[in-house]
Amino acid sequence: MDLDTAKLAVDYILSTPDLFTEEEVGWAFIGGEPLLEIDLIDQICDYIKIEMFRLNHRWFNSYLISISTNGINYSDKKVQNFIEKNKKHLSIGITIDGTEKKHDLNRVYKFTEKGSYKDVVKNIPLWQEQFPDSSTKVTVSSDDIPYIKESVIHIFELGINSIYINVVFENVWKDGDDIIFEQQLTDLADYIIDNNLYYTKTCSFFDEKIGKPLNNDHNNNWCGSGRMLSIDAAGNFYPCTRFAQYSLRDKETWIIGNVKDGIDKNKLRPFLTLDRTTQSPEECIKCEVASGCAWCQGENFDAAETHTVFQRATAICKMHKARVRANNYYWNKLYRKLELEDLREQYEANKREVKPEIC
Amino acid sequence: MKKLVGQVTPEEKNEIQQLFERRNGLNELAKILTADNNELYEKLVKDMGETGSKFQGWWDRMSAKYKWESTENGNWEINFDTCEIFLNF
Amino acid sequence: MLQYLVILLDDTSVAYCHADNPLKERNLMPIETLKKGILFGMKQNLMIQYVFPNYALPEEYASVIESIDNVKIYPVGCKPVTGIESENEADVEVANSIPEKVETKNLVLRLTFCEMLIQKDEIAKLFANGRRVNLCITDVEKFTDEQIDAYRQVLDEWSKALLELYKQGQSPQFNLLTDRMMLEKMHNCEAGISNITLAPNGKFYLCPAFYYDERMQVFNQMNHHKPSSDTSVGDLEKGLDIHNLQLLQLDHAPLCRKCDAYHCRRCVWLNRKMTWDINTPSRQQCVMAHLERNASRCLLNDIRNIGEFMPNIEIKEINYLDPFEVRKEF
Repeated sequence: MDLDTAKLAVDYILSTPDLFTEEEVGWAFIGGEPLLEIDLIDQICDYIKIEMFRLNHRWFNSYLISISTNGINYSDKKVQNFIEKNKKHLSIGITIDGTEKKHDLNRVYKFTEKGSYKDVVKNIPLWQEQFPDSSTKVTVSSDDIPYIKESVIHIFELGINSIYINVVFENVWKDGDDIIFEQQLTDLADYIIDNNLYYTKTCSFFDEKIGKPLNNDHNNNWCGSGRMLSIDAAGNFYPCTRFAQYSLRDKETWIIGNVKDGIDKNKLRPFLTLDRTTQSPEECIKCEVASGCAWCQGENFDAAETHTVFQRATAICKMHKARVRANNYYWNKLYRKLELEDLREQYEANKREVKPEIC
Repeated sequence: MKKLVGQVTPEEKNEIQQLFERRNGLNELAKILTADNNELYEKLVKDMGETGSKFQGWWDRMSAKYKWESTENGNWEINFDTCEIFLNF
Repeated sequence: MLQYLVILLDDTSVAYCHADNPLKERNLMPIETLKKGILFGMKQNLMIQYVFPNYALPEEYASVIESIDNVKIYPVGCKPVTGIESENEADVEVANSIPEKVETKNLVLRLTFCEMLIQKDEIAKLFANGRRVNLCITDVEKFTDEQIDAYRQVLDEWSKALLELYKQGQSPQFNLLTDRMMLEKMHNCEAGISNITLAPNGKFYLCPAFYYDERMQVFNQMNHHKPSSDTSVGDLEKGLDIHNLQLLQLDHAPLCRKCDAYHCRRCVWLNRKMTWDINTPSRQQCVMAHLERNASRCLLNDIRNIGEFMPNIEIKEINYLDPFEVRKEF
């Protein structure tokens, strides 16, 4: 993206209050690897701040700049200057996949094919010092399942206390994956409980609220697409990055506008009227363990039989059910232990909340 | 040392949180705005003064209203999540 | 439940709804396809609606066409000669301008919004002759909020003309204003639900507009470089195959299922074209339908000042024109 395109996007967003009605705003930069373009991000952020102030925009009182990075360039001088300059309004997330072996399976340098784990991990202490409550996000695909337990433990050992982790929504699952997944989570549950990590650490796979039936009153859409705006390098607008062509497998991009023409509000209407029951098949509506079962609107669209965002993809069904079984095990085991130690009340009063990660 | 000395209402908390956020925003903006940009620079300076006054005014009003415990060289702080007021001394 | 089979006898069969027919070259449905279509309709217990082009069909088609009870939709002034000339009260003539003469009891008048405004008085004169007038606006997608007042005003003027006819004891029928007064629940186009279209190529489509799009390789999305793919929903060999059929039903349309603009076309082709999702109406469709609904409400109240009329119908006063604006309370 060039700076002029970014400025046009900022101008449009700040001058269209009827479409952007939230009291707060998050300006998120994603890649590729965004820190490779820290100069550009810096210029864009300066422009955002100046324009919000110049226009007396309410968001000047409540904005956040967030960056998702692979962490390799985190300690670079330019990046550190940027952090210092925007410290009060900045959130940076570093992605670590798990152990060195697991991380380097997927994350290698382009030409040398050397794994990047060591270069990332050396920056973790500085990152944690600058963003003490930071969490990391891990996405699990079929090949990753055998490494879940060791990866989560490793991330905890690096000093990261919160891990947001989810399985991919795409239909990648092989027969038996759910069984291994359940075993991994059960083993992880044992480790967390046996080592008393539950006071200080959270892994979002374990959440008391999941695995319950949902009645029709719980009808909100899970996904935030349409309530966010995603902008590509050319200045096209999407309801979420997953609707950009490079993210789609079988469908053509769902562009809702661009920096010059603005948003075509008609193209947003399906997203803003989506609800759980309209897009869900009967088996999901009647599911006894429905709560916490997520979906991705982009994957729903990509996998749908017709051109619609109203057909829920159910590829993660068996994985969700496996998660629910392990989750039930975790809470039953944990609460029994706490009761026997007469610590349940104390735990419940102080427990760390797991906020569901809604993208 | 830190001691819980009181609590404000959520509305009162929102007021100071907004001023706090604005002050942070102004401070970060001050790092990039120079006197070359005359009009905005003057606006910034004026706003920093006004926001600072409102910020102090909030603490004066609230401390008078709730009569929080204080100490010499101590200062109060607020937890935005709980609306609790602490005395640091 | 399917009730109607619309058979496009030719690629140039007359367009009778929102979508113009862009196909200019004749391409007559093969007679064997027609026979199979009729057989399909008979076996599915469907009423056949033939859509005619503006030229006389070969003689051998006449007996096939009349081998089953049917409704004819044809361009005004081009009455099909099939050998059976009995009056069918359901036959429809279609005009793209104010016609000088109409023979059937039903007229579909297709105009752009601007044409409609310019010819509003001529349109009003059509109400008096005892036939049903269906006015179909052919450029709904271009309707803007700046045109709301103009539409409101013309509906008001037509309401006054209709009221005069009611005072004279007549019962005029004009889709935009009198339909809603008679309805207690949704009565929409229901393409794919109550009717399906058979095109000359032997394939089924939700409605003729989807066939036109496929034939014209319409570029269906902003910044798209690929033409729309096959839009058919089955064929005469394999039968109907409508994917995501549930999305055509009212209960799967979040904006429509609680709406009471019961007369709205709920055009799924316009939905697909403008919002890209078949179950979601555009602002244009909603606003226009609500202006009509509100005008119907006023007309209903005015008629009731003359005497009792449709006592079971209640059209409430509402403060929105687009249900999307009040979707959270909806």
